[in-house]
Amino acid sequence: MFFSIFKAIEGTGLSIWIRESDSIFSFWLILSVHAIGMGVAVGASVLIGLGILGFAPDLPLASLKRFFRFIWVGFWIQVVSGTLLLIGYPTKALTNPLFYVKLTLIGLAIASMQMLRNRVFADSSLNEAGMMAKGRIFAVWSLMFWVAAVTAGRLLAYTYTVLTAD
Amino acid sequence: MNLAHIHLLLNHWPIIGAFVGLFLFLAAFFSNSDDLKQTSLAFFTLIAILAIPTYFSGDVANEVLKQSTPLPKELINTHQGAAFLSLIFMEITGAVALIGLWRFSRMSGPAPAPVARWNSAAVLLLSIVTVGLMTVTGNTGGAIRHPEIFSSQDTASTIGAIGSKIVPVVSYFSTGFSRWVWPVLETLHFLGLILIVAAIGGLNLRLSGFVKDLPVAPLHRLLPWGIAGFVINIITGILFFVGMPFFYAWNPLFHLKMASVVVAGATLVLFNCTSAFRGWAKLGPGEDPPAFAKVVAAGSLFLWLVIIVLGRYLPLTQESLK
Repeated sequence: MFFSIFKAIEGTGLSIWIRESDSIFSFWLILSVHAIGMGVAVGASVLIGLGILGFAPDLPLASLKRFFRFIWVGFWIQVVSGTLLLIGYPTKALTNPLFYVKLTLIGLAIASMQMLRNRVFADSSLNEAGMMAKGRIFAVWSLMFWVAAVTAGRLLAYTYTVLTAD
Repeated sequence: MNLAHIHLLLNHWPIIGAFVGLFLFLAAFFSNSDDLKQTSLAFFTLIAILAIPTYFSGDVANEVLKQSTPLPKELINTHQGAAFLSLIFMEITGAVALIGLWRFSRMSGPAPAPVARWNSAAVLLLSIVTVGLMTVTGNTGGAIRHPEIFSSQDTASTIGAIGSKIVPVVSYFSTGFSRWVWPVLETLHFLGLILIVAAIGGLNLRLSGFVKDLPVAPLHRLLPWGIAGFVINIITGILFFVGMPFFYAWNPLFHLKMASVVVAGATLVLFNCTSAFRGWAKLGPGEDPPAFAKVVAAGSLFLWLVIIVLGRYLPLTQESLK
């Protein structure tokens, strides 16, 4: 039943355009945007994480709060570009267990960053040392989840087993 | 003009550059001049960046040359072997020089901290080895195109022969050793990209006039993470190229990507890792960067973005070239 849905998606004009168009603005542009979105979302998380872990002494930690917005900008870039890539290759992605692992890891990374924001950056009673002590665990976990998510994403190109549209 | 021209345009720079860098470094050493030392360290780093496309352009030059002139394979292999060893030592020299150079951009006191003794010793030793290897590379390369100067006996080179044994081993490691090496290298290349965007992108965003509540100097202290990303991507990038040279060598988007990497890398070295940065490092929370800083930073952001996009588009032209 699932396969018939995937097949139907692969037959739509949008899916065929993403996969097969000779336009330089189809598949490769979406892939480029997906790489930039990754850089923005994970890069902002890394910047906040390094600050919380104490690698930028003298940096007022509260000012890093601005970068949480970039995580969400990157996240929505990824949702849009990722959905388009999924429309292009639904069978290839959705039959690969690693794809669900990747989505889970992204969810965990984002959740860790949100906890860092809500429990540490939003708590005005904390001083710098308090923010670092309390935020450390969230920063470490989110960075580990991001590394794992990026790894899973890259390996998707090498681990798919079912390809019904090429 | 054809693509072989690129190799000719580039290949004299790393050889002469390594010599000039060493002379500057020795002069700095004996005169105990910090300014000269900074210049020579920056010079080594720039030459190291330029050596990458120089090496990459060699494969195409060979292919073009083969069409018009029959060449002994031995001569080419020896030259490539010496060039590969030169590239490796030039990159290590550049990376170690950059660690020394970095101190000149730091605002830890009124004057930059002195360059560490171990660093000067390492740069001296590495650059002497590099100059030696570059000389062999120049000689063996000259033998390919200048029969009026060299006989082939003159340039039979042990170093070149050793290097020519290493290149296929490295190539095999990237492509044949295990089917997981390439994906792991790609993943590392992506993680390097993220470090570049985080640290180099973050600093340049601030210097472009955004996120102004952040003071510049503490943000600058995170720059070594971005430099680490740059180094990771240079290492993995060289492994990609040596693994599948002809996937990249003819690709115009790859040429454009390498040109962008050279300019973005030079911008990083000259404006963010030397005393030229110390004026910008004084910018506190809320302070607007000078117009020149904004132009340089915005240019740098744009180049890194272009580099990411060109990298993702590489397979496209490869397909259309088939």
